[in-house]
Amino acid sequence: MITLLKNAKVYDPAHGVDGVKKDIYIRNGHIIAKPSKTEKIHEAMDLSGKVVMAGAIDMHSHIGGGKVNIARMMLPEYQETLKYADPEAHVCGPQCSHNATPSTIVTGMHYIEMGYTAVFEPAVLGINARQAHLEMGDTPMIDKGGYAMLGNDDYFLRLLANKADQKAINDYVAWTLNATQTIGIKVVNPGGINAFKFNQRRLDLDENNKHYAVSPRQILKSLSRAVHDIGVAKPLHVHCNNLGVAGNFQTTLDTMGASDGIPMHLTHIQFHSYGAEGDKKFSSAAAEIAEAINNNKHITADVGQILFGQTVTASGDNMMQHLNAGFANPKKSVIMDIECDAGCGVVPFKYRDENYVNAMQWAIGLEIFLSVEDPWRVFLTTDHPNGAPFTSYPHLIRLLMDKSFRAEAFDKLNLDAQAMSNLKAIEREYSLYEIATMTRAGAAKLIGMDNQGHLGEGAAANITVYTEQSDKEAMFGKPDYVFKDGELVVKHGEVVKVVWGKTHTAKPAYDKSVEKNLKEYFEKYHTIQLDNYKISDDEMAADGRNSVISHTKAAG
Amino acid sequence: MQKSNNINTTTATCPACGMLCDDINVSDPSANTCAKSISFFSQPITESSPTIAGKPVSLDEAVAKAASILKDAQHPIFAGLSTDLSGFRAAFNSAQQVNAPMMHINAESTWRNTKVLQSKGWQTTTLMEVKNRADVILCIGTDVVSHNPRFFERNVWNKEALFTNPQTRNIIYLGGEGLDTSHGVSPNGKQPTVLPCATKALPEITAALRALIQGKTLNTDSITGIAVKDLETVVTQLKEASYAVLIWVAKDFSFAHAELTIENITESVVTLNKESRAMALALGGSDGDTTVNYAHTWLSALAPEEHDLKQYDTVVWINSFSPEKPLPTTDAPIIAIGNSQTQFVTPPAVFIPVATPALDCAGTLFRVDSSIVLPLKQTRESALPTLSTVMNKMDALLT
Ligand SMILES: [Zn+2]
Ligand SMILES: [Zn+2]
Repeated sequence: MITLLKNAKVYDPAHGVDGVKKDIYIRNGHIIAKPSKTEKIHEAMDLSGKVVMAGAIDMHSHIGGGKVNIARMMLPEYQETLKYADPEAHVCGPQCSHNATPSTIVTGMHYIEMGYTAVFEPAVLGINARQAHLEMGDTPMIDKGGYAMLGNDDYFLRLLANKADQKAINDYVAWTLNATQTIGIKVVNPGGINAFKFNQRRLDLDENNKHYAVSPRQILKSLSRAVHDIGVAKPLHVHCNNLGVAGNFQTTLDTMGASDGIPMHLTHIQFHSYGAEGDKKFSSAAAEIAEAINNNKHITADVGQILFGQTVTASGDNMMQHLNAGFANPKKSVIMDIECDAGCGVVPFKYRDENYVNAMQWAIGLEIFLSVEDPWRVFLTTDHPNGAPFTSYPHLIRLLMDKSFRAEAFDKLNLDAQAMSNLKAIEREYSLYEIATMTRAGAAKLIGMDNQGHLGEGAAANITVYTEQSDKEAMFGKPDYVFKDGELVVKHGEVVKVVWGKTHTAKPAYDKSVEKNLKEYFEKYHTIQLDNYKISDDEMAADGRNSVISHTKAAG
Repeated sequence: MQKSNNINTTTATCPACGMLCDDINVSDPSANTCAKSISFFSQPITESSPTIAGKPVSLDEAVAKAASILKDAQHPIFAGLSTDLSGFRAAFNSAQQVNAPMMHINAESTWRNTKVLQSKGWQTTTLMEVKNRADVILCIGTDVVSHNPRFFERNVWNKEALFTNPQTRNIIYLGGEGLDTSHGVSPNGKQPTVLPCATKALPEITAALRALIQGKTLNTDSITGIAVKDLETVVTQLKEASYAVLIWVAKDFSFAHAELTIENITESVVTLNKESRAMALALGGSDGDTTVNYAHTWLSALAPEEHDLKQYDTVVWINSFSPEKPLPTTDAPIIAIGNSQTQFVTPPAVFIPVATPALDCAGTLFRVDSSIVLPLKQTRESALPTLSTVMNKMDALLT
């Protein structure tokens, strides 16, 4: 059966297509070349005047890493507003607190309604990977994937401290990807989460974890090399040291140099782009950071934009979240050490435009978006829910595409922040092509998924259809149609068919003998058996709704 | 019918308590060191038939009757919920269809902890951190082993640890009644410190502990029979620890406003963490309570709450793991779905025997310390339907 989408105005940066009128043919969930005249077209939709892009990909959103579930459990008040019977009592907006901790069901529904068809959980603890996949398995409509956290686990730090050769590290990293059903590797506050367990309270790039006598720089070097050597497309996902600290931009700049030119992705870089200038000793270092990204072609970044409203910050970085717990609003927080693997910190937070620091954070994020020249190397995120709920993306897109809308918002900021920011001087407005690059083609390329994020032959038929509007928030907030694997699942902003996505993984090869040492370590120090740590493809598919796709190419 | 090639295991994971020991020898259950585990894995199989008002019927008849009772219900509730993840997922779907709230059999004790989380949050750790780091372990109002028999065997007196010498750990029991403190004696004979007081005195003694940790002075020599100087010694040990762990079991806190006592413990940890390292740890747990707590939360965005069963006109009672636990006391009709060994004083309106995860079918459970999730294996042949099979059949009749 062939479906034809006719006369669409297509934005497909993977093929350099910039608003060109084209026809798209779909068969068996994939996009196909124009069929021969003899083949029957079963269904045709005329999309004259509509804008068509591939389904969007969120490359960093906390949808299933356990932490948001702690937030849900801790913050029942976030859901209260949904219970109001009188629609007047609660005017729902994208930054409502209930969007910070939605159920998995609502998460999937809201994503697809915005035209997103794949979302990646960036902080999967190996030991907690089964929970991550269970939660994502209960998230309908979208494809999922995760990045496994390494670099604070005692097994890895022992390898590094004992000067294990790179091959041993590579095997462990590849084994971890296989065992945890993930597609990338993340490091959070390299060495810092571990150091906190030894009562260290901060860790700089060249400061040693006092037990292991290894530095974050060594961890970054070793892990980025491993990810590269084993042929995983997704560069090491790096949450730098010194999250949220005034003056931390220097750590971020230095981090860019820690991998000797091997690709690294610096995540939620807004939270790592702070200077310490001015009366309040807090300033924007967005210009320095953007310039460094522009000059360092091995670096990519997502922004982690903040938007004003009530949300919750959920991070593996319990060292820094423990320092932030005093700012919790409402006044409660969870800090955990987890299983000699990592940790987590969940701190509710309200960003206010009248607050100097929050206003600066907002401006810094936008400055980075607008100052990084290459949309293939910067990605649209709010680090959901840390900067804002993902439901804010249409609003964020409008801020990027509409200079006067941005200026209006800027004029409402804390006045001291207005004086300290040069955001208003930046003229740039993102084009639809650039938005499609950042949210589709670039994200798919970064993660290494050949069949996602584009509309060429062989791609999964994940397609979003918009009505072009001058109000870009309205346009991106409610697509006319969304196709998931060829099926029409959203019509005029409403889900018309419930589907369950797949899980994208990478399964690089490794020397099976790596399990010999791991088994010994598990038997001595772990509380579970090695075999119970590993998650099989069958287990992933056990409920009949999920299935695993591996994007590994022949070993490189 | 399950295929026999599913059963090729000698080692299994035990759901009999919240610790989920995954080294259980199922070829010879009696070789295990845990009485709970032995009794779980040696329960007989009964291919008991579904019943309506005590009379045997077919599965389809029982499901049809259950669906018709549920359709007539104005205010049904799904309770018990002693099951694993896939059973809970299925039950959640059915409960959604009839707008029923859900309450676990351990709701009362779980809710004591949830209240603290929702009021103040907490700072907690997991078993592997205990096993490898903890040098001071303070058990408050509990011996732990009444709930998690192998806690000391597996996590405290281990031969090797990454960052501490297990033999020299300092074990302290503070308060609680009828404790078995023998497990706190190290293999080389080091005795634990035992500071006894009645369970009902725990609010007072934990408040004193919290005050001392916060640096306050107490204008008395003794509290609830415990000398203040002994309590001060404990505080010094906690502050000097490389990694102190403060443990409680909510089930052992059966007194009014237990959440305030738990908060004394968790806030003590928060204060300790300003200078040194310490973590809290809630243990106990069984009947899949942690699993239900977590899955309910991600599926609905809210933690499950405690309800008064008397407010509901129909009770769907799910109990796969603990046949010895009685049906709830209620005048409302009960649809009981659970372990084939379940005995009834008064037969429920409908009874549907189902497979028990870890015996008759595979499954998945969360460990009591929350981050660790383990698969359960099928360990014997069984023709019993799974809970999700039964729920799916019922769903089809409810729409
Ligand atoms: Zn709302
Ligand atoms: Zn993040």
